[in-house]
Amino acid sequence: MKALEDLVTLLSRLPGIGKKSAYRMAFHILKLDGQFAALLAERITGLKDKVRFCSRCGAYTEEDPCPVCSSPSRDRSVLCVVEQPQDVLTIEASREYHGLYHVLGGLISPLDGVGPDALRLDRLVDRVRELGVREVILATNPTVEGDTTALYVKRMLDATGVRVSRLATGMPVGGDLEYADRLTLVRSFRGRTGL
Amino acid sequence: MATTSIQTVSFRNLEDDTVDVSAPTVFLVGENGQGKSNFLDALYTLSYGASFRGGTDLEAAKLGTKAWSLRRQSNDDTGLDDELVVAWDEGKKLLKENGKAIPDRKYLVDKTPAVVFCHGDMEFAQGEPERRRFFFDQTAGLVSLAYIDALRSYRRALKARNAALKEKMLDVLDILDIQLATYGTELIGGRKDLIQGFENMFSERYEQVSRLGSKVGLEYRPSWPAECSSDEINDRLLASREREVMFGTTLSGPHRDRFVFIDDHGDFSARASTGQLRLLALTLRIVQAEYCSGMSGKLPLLLLDDVLLELDPEKRRRFMENLPAARKAVFTFLPGEPYGDYRSADTAVYWVEHGRLSNTAGV
Repeated sequence: MKALEDLVTLLSRLPGIGKKSAYRMAFHILKLDGQFAALLAERITGLKDKVRFCSRCGAYTEEDPCPVCSSPSRDRSVLCVVEQPQDVLTIEASREYHGLYHVLGGLISPLDGVGPDALRLDRLVDRVRELGVREVILATNPTVEGDTTALYVKRMLDATGVRVSRLATGMPVGGDLEYADRLTLVRSFRGRTGL
Repeated sequence: MATTSIQTVSFRNLEDDTVDVSAPTVFLVGENGQGKSNFLDALYTLSYGASFRGGTDLEAAKLGTKAWSLRRQSNDDTGLDDELVVAWDEGKKLLKENGKAIPDRKYLVDKTPAVVFCHGDMEFAQGEPERRRFFFDQTAGLVSLAYIDALRSYRRALKARNAALKEKMLDVLDILDIQLATYGTELIGGRKDLIQGFENMFSERYEQVSRLGSKVGLEYRPSWPAECSSDEINDRLLASREREVMFGTTLSGPHRDRFVFIDDHGDFSARASTGQLRLLALTLRIVQAEYCSGMSGKLPLLLLDDVLLELDPEKRRRFMENLPAARKAVFTFLPGEPYGDYRSADTAVYWVEHGRLSNTAGV
């Protein structure tokens, strides 16, 4: 069944989807009525047509500038730097942060041939100056590449005089010491704070 | 934690079976190539999530198959059943403890620490410095998750820095220097602490096993001065930048550290006989097990692969007398070896033939 195999090949190229899951999805689509399959196909095509990058912050958006950049209620003195557009959605879901975003579009990784030039770094300095930003919050992951990028951005922003901070790492809120991941615990001890 | 049984499916040449390993000492007896070491490797893989024999996970699959699975049943300290699964399928490694996924194999290591004695250990005594670093990194990792974390971060930063040097990404090098110095000084600190605790234990044990009559010590020689701060290391890296860009690689750091065995005349392993080196390698493993149980309070599983084969009867006796305390010990023997001399009332003996373990015929 070539049609089935073709779909499975495509689906299994998606992140987190193995061959078995791809087959399960394909069989499920076969079982459902034709309207669902048509709607799914239309939504997937529509996604690429409608969603683009915000020309200011680099987040995914259907209108340019994005709702965050164009909202008068957001705090323009704080800028949160993230690696990927989807990180914006994750932070927005917390409803804790009310400033603006800047998406780098990746992390510095010489191993993958990604240098600072491949990221939206020049635009970051311009935005800090244009917006009169007082604080830049670096929200890159606590990995070697995330650390490299954070240190690079910090150095780059030194000349602007802006305050640069980084998201804390450690025990999750509501977490129980007994069930904490051991490495998280090790890092929490090292990054402990005074009371 | 008392391991009671091991189930192997499509693993190397072993027949799919569940083997009772509840005895405190297990002897695997058989001719070469029958599966003795493969069974030891199954036990090792259940402790480390990886083989001690090297090679890929695909190579660990039985000929004609592309997946394998190992299951270990144990009783924990409260007497409850504990099940651990390490499996490989469709190119993915799967680790599960009592049905729940374990995210990283580093979490296996201190759960049930294992120490393997095998022929390749000779490389710790006389091989490349990289092999000794491997041994001491493994020892430190057995008792410290933070050390494993620092080692992984250092290796990642080193690879990134080497790539940046090769590609002449000079604007990133300042940052990578900071990272290399930070992770590197952490590693050096960990290695210094390890050697402080390890050195005395090693000297004493080697004297007991070898009866050499003179002291053999252990010295840690870091590539960067051990007393340097990460800022000072950073300055050194900057000073050697031009040369490193020319070579396209990082020329100093913990990846170039050395561990040297010394006696009154200097480098001991450069002058030692093959027999002395063999005992040195065995002593390293004995002390690794003792250090591990002393620091973590957990007795290790000992896996001894043909270690007595190349020792004369007197050295065998001394080695057996000096065996460290263990949760369980599993030995492999060739049929001609006098394994009966080392057997006790609670030793289980398995005959291994064509990948099948049986505790009746041929023993």
